[in-house]
Amino acid sequence: MTNLLERLTAWWHAYNVYVALVLVAVGLYLLLPRRRSWGRAAGAVTSVIGMGLLAARSPAFAGFFQQGVFWSLAAVTISAAAATVTFRNPVYCAIWFALALLGTAALFFYQGAQFLGVATVVVYAGAILVTFLFVLMLANPKGQAYYDRISWEAWLAAPAAAVLLGVMTVALARGLPAIDPAVPAGSPDFPVPAVSVARAMSQPRVEEILATDHMAHLGGQLFSRYLLAIEIAGTLLLVALVGAVAIVVHEQRSRATVDAAHPTAGHALTPAALAAGRTQHDSQFAGAGANIHE
Amino acid sequence: MQHSMTYIAVEALVKIALLAFIMMTAAAYLVLLERWVAAWVQDRRGPNRVGVPLTKIKLFGLGQPLADGLKFIFKEEFTPKHVDRWLYTLAPLSILAAALASFAVIPMGSSLPPIHIPALGLETDRIELVEAPSLDVGLVYVFALSSMAVYGVILGGWASNNKYSLLGGLRSSAQLIAYEIPLGLGILGVVLASGSLRLETICTDQATSGVWNIVWQPLGFLVFFVAALAESARLPFDLPECEQELIGGYHTEYAGMRLLLYLVAEFLHMVVAAFLIVILYFGGWHLWGLTGSESDPGWGHALARVAVLSLKTLAVIVLVMLVRWSWPRFRFDQLMTLAWKVMLPLGLVNLVLVAVLYEPELGGRMVAEYGAWTRAALGWGVMLAACAVAALTAPLATDNRPRLDWGVR
Repeated sequence: MTNLLERLTAWWHAYNVYVALVLVAVGLYLLLPRRRSWGRAAGAVTSVIGMGLLAARSPAFAGFFQQGVFWSLAAVTISAAAATVTFRNPVYCAIWFALALLGTAALFFYQGAQFLGVATVVVYAGAILVTFLFVLMLANPKGQAYYDRISWEAWLAAPAAAVLLGVMTVALARGLPAIDPAVPAGSPDFPVPAVSVARAMSQPRVEEILATDHMAHLGGQLFSRYLLAIEIAGTLLLVALVGAVAIVVHEQRSRATVDAAHPTAGHALTPAALAAGRTQHDSQFAGAGANIHE
Repeated sequence: MQHSMTYIAVEALVKIALLAFIMMTAAAYLVLLERWVAAWVQDRRGPNRVGVPLTKIKLFGLGQPLADGLKFIFKEEFTPKHVDRWLYTLAPLSILAAALASFAVIPMGSSLPPIHIPALGLETDRIELVEAPSLDVGLVYVFALSSMAVYGVILGGWASNNKYSLLGGLRSSAQLIAYEIPLGLGILGVVLASGSLRLETICTDQATSGVWNIVWQPLGFLVFFVAALAESARLPFDLPECEQELIGGYHTEYAGMRLLLYLVAEFLHMVVAAFLIVILYFGGWHLWGLTGSESDPGWGHALARVAVLSLKTLAVIVLVMLVRWSWPRFRFDQLMTLAWKVMLPLGLVNLVLVAVLYEPELGGRMVAEYGAWTRAALGWGVMLAACAVAALTAPLATDNRPRLDWGVR
């Protein structure tokens, strides 16, 4: 009898990651908006249990009360992200996504990456998501079209999400056995497998990020070390902008030929003129996004 | 001096509580000021009756905000049946939260000397008059929160489930997104000049040199001022809620406390804009011969700085209120033309001008050889030239007559 219990415990220690993954996948599948309406509460409970099992493996979970701010921010971010994919109404999904972005920005702030936090809000929550919201509201999501309100390929999406989550949890739990600032990276007490993690945790890098004039540091890095990437990204955005303008000009020219063929259509407020104005505005929004992005 | 976590937390909480209280009261009294200014412009008397409650003391109508607030509170908390209940409630809350949060990086003066009150056991450090003194990205933070304000407007418009509200919300989001670009360009010139995004540093720079940014960057000020008016949706940019076309715009369906939240948030946006204008272009707390420019002032200079900053901000607010009664509202196409064809190029010109003036080989040598006044002369000259070019190339931008170029091809 004791033998069986021991074997069960050993089995649990070896395989609880997989149990957690299956729970997360099943829960997420039940949560995703489908044609049926039952099982969403059960899905929520199942996925929370699975996530809890995964979180229990994380070494950083030890200092729960010292890191209360971090954990509450993380909880808000994760639940908002889950709500983003599981809500039926697209506008609500967008709002939850905005909350998830705000949570991410707050986490960045908490780690001292001020510019990343603010940039997340400006670029994603302030510009891109607002444009999404704009489109969603015009598309009238309260209509009867169920295909806008359910998630497709849920049986693929849920396991994929669970596997991604599991891989990251296991990698973190194995790679960082003890996150202790007193132990320098690269020492035998702190065997870090991934080079990037080592660099991220090393002392000069942390000082660089947390330095008081960190904007100046960031700008210096961007325009010396990463100059080529900046230039390429800028050129790419410029090309997109020019393309948008070219499309609009082309449309206006073709409309002008149509109007010339029918001279009565040349009045100030024809639908064609209004539509031309609208496409112009649309391209301007594209430009707005691109500029902010840059 | 190193302090415990508790000290830091208590200091921050006290600052937040004070600031929230002061700003909400200020918003209430700014409503009164707005009504007084409106009455003055229109040659009326304006609110002058309400004074101390339950007495006959009138006090020039200073009790009016209290009466207005009570009226809003005692109105029925009515939620129309056709609205989206959650978002309908969330929208005004989010816009007010964003407006209040943006005060976190705005300095209300420079700093106060340490306070020692032995009787209370109170002993503090030098107190920075800003909630988040260690934030290095202050200006971008304000920028981020002003872009979050769009949510309140769009959500309010959409959740109301009303065509007028939705139109107001759509117009507003287009306007706010469009004017974020000139707003950013107006900021960039100043940031380039002082090499920092912290508002305190920008203030201190102008105080130590004694030259306000407006003296040599008038073009940047113009662009920033217009964009700030548009971002806070003041006339002549109040298209989101123009009552002749859209009843009340995005807050048509709102009443009572929720409407009050919207109105307060609107005033707070204006206050933030006024603070930014003063700090970026009018020297912040600096006034020649009155405030000094040392980094750790005594009580006299510290209080003088607070007073100077407040009075300058109040002056800008009164200017904004006068603008409201001086210009008619723009049409939507004019609004967009002004943003993209006038303000955006002007902002770029200002940015290039500042960059050239700070280039050691060009501007640096010029200033060294001919004196600092050349910088101001060049700034004003470029502004006049750029405005003339803008007026010649886009003359229809703010003309309220029908667009002839749409009908005649």
